[in-house]
Amino acid sequence: MANFKLFTEQSNTSPLSRLWRKFRANHVSLVGLWLFLALTVLAATAPMLAPYGINEQHADALLIPPSWHEDGDVRFILGTDDLGRDVLSRLMNGATYTFGLSIVAALVTTLVGVLVGTVAGISRGLRASLLNHLLDITLSIPSLLLAIIIIAILGPGLMNTVWAIIFALLPQFIHSVRNLVVEELSKDYISAFRLDGANHWQILVRGIFPNIYERIVVIFTMALSLAILDIAALGFLKLGAQPPTAEWGAILAENLGLIYLAPWTVALPGILLFLAVLSTNLVGDGLRNVLKERRAD
Amino acid sequence: MYKWLLGTVAVVLAGCQNEDARYAPIEGMVYCAEANPVSFNPQVTTSGSTIDLISKQLYNRLLRIDPVTGEFIPELATSWQINKDGTEVTFKLRQDVQFHTTAYFTPTRLFNADDVVFSFNRLFDVYNPYHFVGEANYPYFQSVGLDQLIRNIRKDSEYQVTFELFNAESSFLANLATDFAAITSQEYAMELMQSERMELFDQYPVGTGPFVYREYQRDRFIRYYSHPDYWEHQVNLDQLVFDITPNGTTRIVKLLTKECDVTPHPSATQLDVLRERSDIDLQQQDNLNIGYWAFNTERVPFNNPEVRRALAHAINVEKIMQAVYYGQGVKATSMLPPISWAYQEQHNLPGYNPDRARELLAEAGYENGFEMSIWAMPVSRIYNPNARKMAELMQSDLREVGVKVRIVEYEWNTFLQRVDEHRHDSVLLGWAADTPDPDNFFSPLLSCAATFSGKNPANWCNPEFDFLLTQALDTTDQAERKEFYVKAQQMIAEQLPLLPLAHGKRSQANDANIQGITLSPFGGISLAHASKEP
Amino acid sequence: MMFEFAIRRFSLLLFMLFTLSLFTFSLGYLFPGEPLTNFSGIETAGFSQSADLRAKYHLDEGYISQYLAFVGRILQGDWGLSFASGDPVFSHVLTLAPATFELAVYALLVSVIIGVPAGILAALSQGRWPDKLISGITLVGYSVPIFWLALLLIMVFCLQLGLFPMSGRISLLYEIPASTHFMLLDVMLAGFPYGGQAFTDALHHLALPTLVLATYPTTVLVRFTRDSMLNVLEQNYIKTARAKGLSRRQLIIHHALRNALLPVIKQIGLQFSALITLAMITEVIFSWPGIGRWLIDSIYQRDFPAIQGGLLAISMFIIFATIFTELLYTLLDPISRNQAHGKL
Repeated sequence: MANFKLFTEQSNTSPLSRLWRKFRANHVSLVGLWLFLALTVLAATAPMLAPYGINEQHADALLIPPSWHEDGDVRFILGTDDLGRDVLSRLMNGATYTFGLSIVAALVTTLVGVLVGTVAGISRGLRASLLNHLLDITLSIPSLLLAIIIIAILGPGLMNTVWAIIFALLPQFIHSVRNLVVEELSKDYISAFRLDGANHWQILVRGIFPNIYERIVVIFTMALSLAILDIAALGFLKLGAQPPTAEWGAILAENLGLIYLAPWTVALPGILLFLAVLSTNLVGDGLRNVLKERRAD
Repeated sequence: MYKWLLGTVAVVLAGCQNEDARYAPIEGMVYCAEANPVSFNPQVTTSGSTIDLISKQLYNRLLRIDPVTGEFIPELATSWQINKDGTEVTFKLRQDVQFHTTAYFTPTRLFNADDVVFSFNRLFDVYNPYHFVGEANYPYFQSVGLDQLIRNIRKDSEYQVTFELFNAESSFLANLATDFAAITSQEYAMELMQSERMELFDQYPVGTGPFVYREYQRDRFIRYYSHPDYWEHQVNLDQLVFDITPNGTTRIVKLLTKECDVTPHPSATQLDVLRERSDIDLQQQDNLNIGYWAFNTERVPFNNPEVRRALAHAINVEKIMQAVYYGQGVKATSMLPPISWAYQEQHNLPGYNPDRARELLAEAGYENGFEMSIWAMPVSRIYNPNARKMAELMQSDLREVGVKVRIVEYEWNTFLQRVDEHRHDSVLLGWAADTPDPDNFFSPLLSCAATFSGKNPANWCNPEFDFLLTQALDTTDQAERKEFYVKAQQMIAEQLPLLPLAHGKRSQANDANIQGITLSPFGGISLAHASKEP
Repeated sequence: MMFEFAIRRFSLLLFMLFTLSLFTFSLGYLFPGEPLTNFSGIETAGFSQSADLRAKYHLDEGYISQYLAFVGRILQGDWGLSFASGDPVFSHVLTLAPATFELAVYALLVSVIIGVPAGILAALSQGRWPDKLISGITLVGYSVPIFWLALLLIMVFCLQLGLFPMSGRISLLYEIPASTHFMLLDVMLAGFPYGGQAFTDALHHLALPTLVLATYPTTVLVRFTRDSMLNVLEQNYIKTARAKGLSRRQLIIHHALRNALLPVIKQIGLQFSALITLAMITEVIFSWPGIGRWLIDSIYQRDFPAIQGGLLAISMFIIFATIFTELLYTLLDPISRNQAHGKL
């Protein structure tokens, strides 16, 4: 039956570009995305961009307020801390430590999580049930606590924190991916595919992954925002990055004593942390909404 | 729902307000303390943060030193006499002194000679049943060598005691006047011995001081009540609470929110903020103390004096004075502070000179530097308001000369314990004097005896140096003594078992309605005269 | 049916406790230092004492026998001694846990009281300004680091306005006998001493920590309630009911709300575990003498017996809370019992 459509382009565009068009329509999410990208670029290039070294101490310039203040100094745009270190340089490098390492942690988690989660989704029997039981237990323990447990064993330190956070985020990730896979597997088109004689691998690669990767991205953003919060919280508790590492949470904790004298040294890392998490959440939320709308269509 | 809840609460509250008059709010003062006390008996510790909390509040000594004139003032002794050759000191004791009545002990007699004999015998006499309670470690007395000095303590009568000494020593009375020489209750000790609970003696204190122990919760607070029968004067505060707050910023915030009435050692960065507030008084006083950087001289490479000199040359002390002390201290030019009568400026102390440091290191065979740890004390004390920050500054200075530094921190009491065990490469620590006697800066810190009792952070035992100290103690003439102490200071500047960094000022911030706390240039704080206006 | 379900949950509980105890036991070996020291908390044992301890902890026997001895000690309340204080770890846990529990319960209450109605309101006004406002606030609340929020609140409410104290559970000048270790309860049991001032003072001390701690669970509850409500409103039976001519008010109160709130109850229970974790940060900032602050202090001090005990206590707390809410949920929602078979 001939079916005439006036606007054929629309249905011919790929799902990805349709996704983008919908995402773009939400301005708040878009702002989040730009912010997110800016932070990512900063995290990657901060050591090159920063005007001074992280631990470069200027003995002649202690506690200089930001440059727009009347006592400010143009050399130090955001002022200096009590050891004469440039706040701007430290904060920029903080993006690498806090945001960059969080992205790495979340990526590793995604990789492992997707692998294990898929296996868990496909496999049946005793193995699956044991895995699920274990998942249930670890799931009931929040990621920060799990990270603290791991740090209690490994000892405080930034790299230990990253490992701890990866381990701590994994159970949730595996659980979510497994649920996605199970959900897809029960759909009719997969059954049809299987009846056509497709093997496990083909079902996974051609059937399931193309349908769940967008939702994996959403899970990734959730993992990322948790990772940022956890790294910063551990740094703040002095269990994670140890001073003088320029991790935002650690900077904040280190400068707490200056909260009256130099409030900007406490305010700025907090604001950056907030923006990092907010932008991640905005992107995640935007994506989720778009996906939900599409399913409703 | 919410309104209903509020209503109920209001009714309940109103009901109570009418009925309950017997719980009159107890007036009291809250003092923000820096750390948990390690013990409630000052005889067994030298930790300044502990002494502040317990010594002058719970106990009395036989005599004390006037902070202004430096003269001895009778406390539990009314008078004393020294025989001709200085080997016998006889104390006449006060007859009207009541020990504390607490939940765990009710005294049946007044203070007398038995208490004095017991208190000091415990320290030196291995036959005293309490000598080995705890770890038999009486660090102050051991490090100043009192255990080698006292031959016998004799009870002449109910209210007279004589200390028999092996030889005369010029700082003997001063040592008896320190916060450590507290008088404890012999009757309480015997009672605990009978019920075989001797280990409680140092945890549940009974003294004669202005305050009575009530309650202690670790990491939270210590509560004292006033001693109603205090012999010296009426105590103004009904209640004295120590709020244990290790974090310096939190202490300031608590002062501003009126949760604490007194905060010792406010960080120098906050002083300007506090000065601007009309509801907060700030006191400052010159103090006999020294903040230093001690090397573990038993370890390679710190056993080499040239390496120590090299490291000392690498440090920019001026920068430390600016960034850590904020002008609230003076740069040390000797081991002794300038206000001590035995002080002499040491020109031999290494100044900031990184090139010289590199040269010396190369000569010692460390062209490529090495790795070391700096232990930074986790609390602020008079002599070092922020060791962590100091360590970071030094870390960056030492990097310049090729020495890689790892900064180590532990909770305060753990920290002290591990330093006593000499587990460190180097440590940022300090000493606040307990008496104006210059010996107090040397014997407790750098003598061989101090090494054995663990209180010598440099782990430095030099017989020549010890001999100087002994000679100084055997002399009574002040000018002669000064010569020995000058030599001792020179020796430290030469050998550098530790690098003297700075002398801090003692400062204290308190709410403006608190009166009667005076800072002393030495020893722990006394809150006996404190009062709070409503 | 219900019985079988309870058995299943019970066996899961046992399995979880077993895994947890196995893990805690292995910590004695995972931590640096001697297992003997880590288990007993006695750092300077003499030779004969050390031999006695080895015998007590079955350290010269196989792991299984050591593990059994370990479980036996845990059940008897012998959790070793803390390195830092020298006191039994179990007595620390007993005095500290109520403080954390108290804080967590109040925060949970606050988040339910605020979160659920806000979520419903947002769902009912979907797309209009109340929804947008609530969603915006939630997003901010969701993204703000809790320690940063706490600092901001301290700056504003304690230092600028002087409305609330920043530390502890009650002003230290009030002497409240600790009978239950739950502060408000203790004050009540003491008969509202100091003319009721102690009680208001305790409430004042609770305000900021509760608010900070409640932020995260509140935002989660708002989002969850909103989604759940929207989900229900799309269901066919609601559409049917609407088609039958029920008013919006009747529809929501009689049909939508009950079904939408059921999954929320389960979510509330799950929030408890997040609360206990966040309570650790809150306790550190507000000097709240709870188990979380103690655990973190113990980590600084490498106080291994204390870390072990603290982890065990907190994890048990969470496991029991999770199982309890699941049971509660099942009691309220019969359908979930069927699902319990296949899903785990």
